[in-house]
Amino acid sequence: MTGERIHSETWSLCPVCLKRLPAIRMVRGREIFLRKRCPSHGLFETVIWRGFLDFNEWTGGLPGNRTEEPPCNDACGLCPDHLQQTCCVILDITGRCNLECSVCFADPGRGREDPPLSAIRASLEKLVEKGKTLVQLSGGEPTVRDDLPEIVAAAKEVGAKYVQLNTNGLRLATDRELAGRLALAGLSFVFLQFDGTEEPIHQQIRNRPLLDIKRKVIERCADANLGVTLVPTLIRGVNTHNIGEIIRFAVDQSPAVRGVHFQPVTYLGRVTALPSDNDRFTLDELIREIVRQTEGIIAAPNLLPSCCDHPLCGFHGDFVVHNGNLVPLLAKKETSSACCCTPAPADKNREFVARRWQRPVGKEEGEVVTGDDLRDMEVFLHHVRNHGFTLTAMAFQDAGNIDLARLRHCSLHVYDDGRLVPFCSYFLTPWKDH
Amino acid sequence: MAEPKKLICVSCNRELEMKKTDFTYLGHSFFTDLPRCPGCGTVYISEELVKGRISDVEMQLEDK
Repeated sequence: MTGERIHSETWSLCPVCLKRLPAIRMVRGREIFLRKRCPSHGLFETVIWRGFLDFNEWTGGLPGNRTEEPPCNDACGLCPDHLQQTCCVILDITGRCNLECSVCFADPGRGREDPPLSAIRASLEKLVEKGKTLVQLSGGEPTVRDDLPEIVAAAKEVGAKYVQLNTNGLRLATDRELAGRLALAGLSFVFLQFDGTEEPIHQQIRNRPLLDIKRKVIERCADANLGVTLVPTLIRGVNTHNIGEIIRFAVDQSPAVRGVHFQPVTYLGRVTALPSDNDRFTLDELIREIVRQTEGIIAAPNLLPSCCDHPLCGFHGDFVVHNGNLVPLLAKKETSSACCCTPAPADKNREFVARRWQRPVGKEEGEVVTGDDLRDMEVFLHHVRNHGFTLTAMAFQDAGNIDLARLRHCSLHVYDDGRLVPFCSYFLTPWKDH
Repeated sequence: MAEPKKLICVSCNRELEMKKTDFTYLGHSFFTDLPRCPGCGTVYISEELVKGRISDVEMQLEDK
């Protein structure tokens, strides 16, 4: 096709048979596509960048040529070729769920029994590095387990530094005691599925109204001093118009809400239909919408490429909520490289997110600080600890857009039977059934 | 309770006074009260402050 040029080479997979294939990143107009051809299943092409931000600046310049051998995507654990350490370990504690969503990366309810507490404790003992590990309890829906507080306590007992709960919030809303019991057991913070501020959004993605439930969860967590980060799954035409409102809602709920973690929809797990390019919501598109829908309160340079994972896997922005407004703490420096992809920023990233997502304990919350000027060092420290706020995003990969060069940088690992597996390898779903 | 030690400027031999002092870090401007020489303007930043509040500010502003 005319008007095309090759940007760079990489490796990908056939979305049907998952065979490893050479792939190219192809520039067409302003957009960039990932293109690959399977000898058995033909040509596949997926948009990966819309051109609203400079791709080269964002990625810090990707190698032009692919490696001689394809990076491994077998979900057998981390190998010496993997370029990143573990920032967060996901531990699935149940396959059961109390929602029936239209999209789900985990596609739970596969009929397996919940592992007993003793087995979970044994897993925790193996996966936790004392004083360091961030464990995210996930599923399924982890709150369906009655022994969840005991699981949280076990994670802390074996030395996990942070324990995070990934939840839809249903049970936290209905069980008045649960948030308090989890906090007492040592839960650090909550990732709350939150797709929008309008009820039809919940109806469409989660098949039921949920807005009042989400509000109740935030209230209950606030009472228990548990920080909540809102996690919207973004689907074009369903809730991408609501991005600014989600941010405003979150800011209004500060300090109970600590930030928003956007996840553009990925075609993993429960895939109801194969995506067209119009179904893709790229990172640069998300940043454009954040800037546009917050009417310039957030500028593009306040959102920086992921340092911990590959720059195409996410971004982060750090803010303080001051008098109801977001004050940015980060801004991209014009002279610096766009990304700081060094081999070991996982520890730093873990401390960064935990510092913001966890609410301060003890006297700091009630510390008396006079004045309201953020330039006053004491006022600043008080505000940033109590009203810190992050905007982050994670763009998971699926069989259509998987880039094996990205996979090597993954710091989000699923624990399974003694292995730590990069998230997008673990949940990768072939599209052959469609 | 012990009297706070007097701080004397080595250049001017004058006693330092607590004054609002501006500083910048990673593009952000802050102020705090620091002992300053009324003559030459030299400020004294104690080890305690460096390892305490200033280090806190640094940590809070550091990118991940």
